[in-house]
Amino acid sequence: MLSRVADNLYWGGRYLQRAESTARLVTVNGHLLLDLPRQVQAGWMPLIEILGVEKQFKTLYPEAGDTNEANVVRFLLNDERSASSILSSVRRARESLRTVRDTLPQESWEKLNDLHLMLQADGEKGLNRRYRQEFLQRVIDACLLLFGVLTSNMSRDTGFQFLRLGTNVEQADMTTRILDVRSVNLIRIRGADDLAAFENIQWMSVLRSLTAYEMYRRLVRERVQGDSVLRFLLQDREFPRSVAFCLMRMQRTLPKLPEKRSVERAITRTLALLRDADVDALLKKDLSEFLDEVQVGIKGINDALSEAYFKA
Amino acid sequence: MGIAWGDYKSDTWDELFDGTGKPRPAGRKLASYLTKLSAQDLSERRLAAELAIKVMGISFTVYSEGQNVDRSWPFDIIPRVIPKAEWQRTEKGLKQRVRALNAFIQDIYTDQKVIKDKVFPKALLGDSVNYRKQCADVKPRGGVWAHVCGSDLVRDSNGTLFVLEDNLRVPSGVSYMIENRAVIKRVFPELFETTAIRPVDDYPAQLYDTLAGLSPRSGNRPTIVLLTPGIYNSAYFEHCYLAQQMGVALVEGPDLFVDEDDVCYMRTIEGPQRVDVIYRRIDDLFLDPEVFNKESVLGAKGLMRAWTKGKVALANAPGAGVADDKVVYTFVPKFIRYYLDEDPILPNVESFLCHDDTQRGYVLENLEKLVVKPANESGGYGMLMGPKASKKEREKFAELIKANPRNYMAQPVLSLSTAPTMVDGGIEPRHLDLRPFILSRENPYVTMGGLTRVALEKGSLVVNSSQGGGSKDTWIVDTDEGDE
Repeated sequence: MLSRVADNLYWGGRYLQRAESTARLVTVNGHLLLDLPRQVQAGWMPLIEILGVEKQFKTLYPEAGDTNEANVVRFLLNDERSASSILSSVRRARESLRTVRDTLPQESWEKLNDLHLMLQADGEKGLNRRYRQEFLQRVIDACLLLFGVLTSNMSRDTGFQFLRLGTNVEQADMTTRILDVRSVNLIRIRGADDLAAFENIQWMSVLRSLTAYEMYRRLVRERVQGDSVLRFLLQDREFPRSVAFCLMRMQRTLPKLPEKRSVERAITRTLALLRDADVDALLKKDLSEFLDEVQVGIKGINDALSEAYFKA
Repeated sequence: MGIAWGDYKSDTWDELFDGTGKPRPAGRKLASYLTKLSAQDLSERRLAAELAIKVMGISFTVYSEGQNVDRSWPFDIIPRVIPKAEWQRTEKGLKQRVRALNAFIQDIYTDQKVIKDKVFPKALLGDSVNYRKQCADVKPRGGVWAHVCGSDLVRDSNGTLFVLEDNLRVPSGVSYMIENRAVIKRVFPELFETTAIRPVDDYPAQLYDTLAGLSPRSGNRPTIVLLTPGIYNSAYFEHCYLAQQMGVALVEGPDLFVDEDDVCYMRTIEGPQRVDVIYRRIDDLFLDPEVFNKESVLGAKGLMRAWTKGKVALANAPGAGVADDKVVYTFVPKFIRYYLDEDPILPNVESFLCHDDTQRGYVLENLEKLVVKPANESGGYGMLMGPKASKKEREKFAELIKANPRNYMAQPVLSLSTAPTMVDGGIEPRHLDLRPFILSRENPYVTMGGLTRVALEKGSLVVNSSQGGGSKDTWIVDTDEGDE
């Protein structure tokens, strides 16, 4: 496989996954705000923090009063100028995959075009609160359909492995980001007894942004609590959006690629970090530092892949 | 309400109806089917086709105002029908023609007998823009230089098919031929049950076989790649399509390199991998910065070295364009007699060469009746359509011709044949041509029909997609079987 092609497939996978994750994030935040009392509402800015794009947002929406729902939602949905919008992610996925179209099943390219056309046609309408839910659901459905077409129709050849590496790196990244920002938020409302009930709502929203709620309930069988949610999303070996699961899946992919020790080491190191984590202790302090460490690990995997396969 | 076919009238040869308004035999089923459709049915089918094209992502890229715009492929849903018997004869004529062209190219780069025997003037070769001195004495396998040829055929008002030009460098359009069929199958599936329409989708497999036959290494499966200039090329869609259909790697210049052993490699995730055959879709001059255009980043340094040493095969061969020249074109009937000792099966369009004093005199005096073409442009650029041009434009062209007579030839304006085409508010005749593709090898292959290009504007004779042309599915129909 050409190095350039591997590179494009990897990023195609990442951008598609990012589009789906962003749609889920926006959906869940909308729901959460409906449930929380006003005094603990963090509004929409946490989404910008989750994605780590405060600077870009400030550049496009510089005024103090700009941090409102309308702007954040536009920034994340269909602002062409914003690299974090679903529109931009899908465009970049399309640009990456367009140059490697010959390696993909024809049908997947058709579905990706459908999604792109849909975003262009209905993106503006999707900003409207009344239609937003339905719009985001269509984005999520379209992404799932695409992943479905790819998983069902593509041989498990090298190209598929790079796509899969891309989606898994992106998912691992997104899961840690969501945990990071939400947990910071949670700590803020601790202490006030009358608000304790809402802590659970927040943890539930964390689970929901990763469509993890039902799977969590089935596994944990007790009410939603911070420590078990963290354990589930960081360490669970069965749930496909947990960080450990994503990394393990990448690990299983490696034997199908030309052997590169550096990539293997980067994954093993990050996995060990997750396994050794003492979640109870982390919840009391240093959770944020720990998640930063995991993020650095994931970035290390990305860089090792790039060095090993994309720069021939 | 049905379509008012009574109003349909072509002022030249029509592909579907004869002079009395009756459908021609091969088109009978199509015509009777169409007459049963209401105007609403037809426009619904048209919408379905547009949607299919969008969804299938069939597009081409147009460069305008400094921007590359991806446009949906303009397509007319009414197929163009050609009877099988006529096609068989055309096929023979095309194979004959391309055999002679390849013989000419090989001759030009080796003995130049054609010049010594005074069949082709030496002066014309000296001025040829597409003659590559670097190709002298090279002998590609089987003497084939133009492995893929796309020839443009037009029909005059008497129904005779002429060859208008041969494209021997990087002819494009074949993917649209195949995709047009896929769209039509979605839109008119029922017609395929009743009419014996020859399939066209064999082409990528045939192309693959042609390329595989060129591998310099015997045994093993050869490594074949398609070299594209990249996503901004107007034919990028086609490059992807063909690479995918053949199951070969689609590469760009920077993916390739030629090592000191003169072998061509591509950069892969496992390290360098040897390349045997390159189906290149970039022009000669961009192939190798070591030999041609030094600024080129589209090709790879050393490719010519690898090719002349026989370490990698290039299709089409560099320098094949020497025969893809509107001036050389006028000699093709002579080449057929000279090299093959046969009578040409397909006629050329009458042409006047501006380098010849008498013919130039005629051209300059009759500019308002002629189409003047530069020898080496494609895509319909740089032409003068005499009857439509202003006096000023004609004067400008007269100066151009006088300054560089070798670079121009002229032809009478042919009234290209028409076929029924959907336009706003009904069906009207529109002019069209046909581009079949010929693969040269031991047993040459010709596509079943080809790409029909249609001028969508009323009265227009310009069919190029870059200039507002569209296309139609082309049916080679067997009238012997399945009738009644």
